[in-house]
Amino acid sequence: MAVIVEVLGWGGRSQGHFRVDGPSVTIGRGYQNDVVLDDPYISANHLRLDATENGWQLTDLQSRNGVQVLKNSKTENSSSTVILEDGAEIKVGRRRLRILTDGHPVEPAKELHRLEQDLGRLNRLSIWLPLFLISLALDIGSLYASSFVEWQWKNHIFTILGSQAVVLMVALFWSLLGRFLRHERQFLSQYSLILSVGLIYTLLEWLIGVLSYNLSSSGVAMIMLPLLAMLLATLLLSANFALATNMLPRQRWISALGFVMLVIVVSISARMSEWGEFSPYPDYFADLQVPILQFSTAESTDDFIDSLDAVFAAADRKALD
Amino acid sequence: MSIYNETGLSLCARGFSRAVFILTFCLAWPLAVAAQSDSARALFADNKAGILQIRIIDLTSGSKSAIGSGFVVSDSGLIATNYHVVQMAAEKPDQYRIEYLSAEGELNHLKLVDVDVINDLALVKADSEMTPELPLAVAEPPIGMPVYALGNPLDLGLTVVPGTYNGVNQTSYHPRVHFTGSLNPGMSGGPTLNQAGEVVGVNVSTAGNQISFLVPVAALQQLITEYRVRGHEVDDIRQRIAQQLLADQDKKFTRLLALDWPTLALGEAVVVNELKPFIKCWGGSNSASTKAQFLSADRTCRSEDNIYLNAKFNSGVIEHQFFWLQADQLNTVQFYAYYERLFSDFAPGNKGTEKDLGDYQCDNQFVRAESDLQSNRGRTTKVVFCARAYKEYPELYDIVFLQGTVDDSQATFVSHFTLAGVSQKNAKAYARKFMGVSKWQ
Repeated sequence: MAVIVEVLGWGGRSQGHFRVDGPSVTIGRGYQNDVVLDDPYISANHLRLDATENGWQLTDLQSRNGVQVLKNSKTENSSSTVILEDGAEIKVGRRRLRILTDGHPVEPAKELHRLEQDLGRLNRLSIWLPLFLISLALDIGSLYASSFVEWQWKNHIFTILGSQAVVLMVALFWSLLGRFLRHERQFLSQYSLILSVGLIYTLLEWLIGVLSYNLSSSGVAMIMLPLLAMLLATLLLSANFALATNMLPRQRWISALGFVMLVIVVSISARMSEWGEFSPYPDYFADLQVPILQFSTAESTDDFIDSLDAVFAAADRKALD
Repeated sequence: MSIYNETGLSLCARGFSRAVFILTFCLAWPLAVAAQSDSARALFADNKAGILQIRIIDLTSGSKSAIGSGFVVSDSGLIATNYHVVQMAAEKPDQYRIEYLSAEGELNHLKLVDVDVINDLALVKADSEMTPELPLAVAEPPIGMPVYALGNPLDLGLTVVPGTYNGVNQTSYHPRVHFTGSLNPGMSGGPTLNQAGEVVGVNVSTAGNQISFLVPVAALQQLITEYRVRGHEVDDIRQRIAQQLLADQDKKFTRLLALDWPTLALGEAVVVNELKPFIKCWGGSNSASTKAQFLSADRTCRSEDNIYLNAKFNSGVIEHQFFWLQADQLNTVQFYAYYERLFSDFAPGNKGTEKDLGDYQCDNQFVRAESDLQSNRGRTTKVVFCARAYKEYPELYDIVFLQGTVDDSQATFVSHFTLAGVSQKNAKAYARKFMGVSKWQ
């Protein structure tokens, strides 16, 4: 009967295992042991496990720091001997070890989702680089388009680097999380995902801006933009989770949506205090677009002035509040 | 010799006459000062008893929370002052009481009986008879006449301020006398007297550096007459103010709208010029700036009329503003980015708080003039119209209007006006007229 000694990492995840055939297993830092662990707090010959009928009998080989039993289903142990059962966990030095039989059941395989496979393909320089260049160009272009003083790179370089750094940090965060939880970084996939969602948002935001300008209504943008942001953020988060974690699709969507909802609730409650506050300044829809983007028809001066009665009626109602 | 002598004599005579002139001047100077101080002294002595300190007493704390001046206009105990002196008591009679303190130290209650909010006047009445009554001047004094403002500056006691009568200001719709002399806080509501001791105006405001303003005595005469005809105090001061505001704006806008508005070029556009005596204009541009990437020229016009309603709320102001912008070195997108920033930054011309005003409600539309729509030519503009209603005075609104062209990629023309305290009908008529006059074709 073989003994499996599994080395556990943070969160109880397996970092690797040793398989030893035979009636006894020695564990220590010395190279003569069956299981060699490189940890300065572990003695050269730290402990021995001997197979018995009920499990493995643990013998501390007079180690400096001893052995601590963290988890063992067998409760009845005499004071002198400790018997470890299948699945027991012990602490040796600073290492956590799980002791298993080779017949120990494992979880059924998870279905590899299509999304995960497809997203995984994004992990290429040939995809990331064009996306990066497009979004960088868009970033610089929008700064240039909104600048009406003499353009000087030194005034803008920090803004540009700053926004790119934020995207890089987020991509790095997901990548590290993936490295830890799934043992794959998918750095370029994460980066490309964030960039493409950013591009889609910028494009749709612009389209909504043109639409609301032509409809002369700030309400269109006020409703559509947060909805769009919510939708895209949920999609992005879910994809990030898919690449970086082992969550099932359902868990992933719920987590993504939950997080977005939390952000919305927090931002709404932060603004709650401003609602209904009197402002001495008019809050009017001041958006303007370049002439070629103005395609709705204008009304006559007379029609406009006749329509003003509604404004006065609304002002009267507001004064009664 | 004789010639010499003669010449010497004539020189002497000339010298003598100069000496006489200098002497006369030297003598006349202190004499004139003496005459002035004599008349000031006499005015002070004769009218001291008729000029009072008006105090607004906070009933909770029992102390004065505002002071001003006032003067007796009828021996039945009728006293004139400024509306802004008694405004707190007019608004909250349960919280404030009006009192007077005479030069002799006599203290007594006063009752608010009538107001003229447009001219910032109020009539208060004492229970007992009061003397002496200060006579109101029938004729306007000539410009340059010495006059004397009396009142209680900074609670320092009754003070005389000599100054010069400079006639009725021609640049404001509501007449104000320009008085060259220093009016200070606390003198509001006090009289300005001519040398005969007649009231020629009521102290009301100052622009600093000896430039002060008086309410013409004719407005006070009118208010006293209205009060006498009615024969009793006004029951509802708020309603009286509402009526005065409505009537005043109606009169003002009827006159303004009937006027043929003079125009002026700004860039390629036509804008409204000064409307005397309603608004005065200034202008500027960025043409002096070497760093400017675009051209901006503007013209700003503003009325000097301000109707005081309370310490945080005034009305009656009219403002016009025009901008002509050219893209110059900017591309269309950059130019419109600047234009959008300018367009989003317009504000009302008067101040007010939630207590008195509702929030602004706005509408915006793309608009073209009728004639342009038919001919399918001319400019497309974006027009913003905002209105907020007065809570205490029904049918009155503040208006913010904004119109900007949106169909030219290299130039734009923006025109803007604000009106304070105007009826719906007048505001709409004003917008129509303004859009008809101020345009770029």
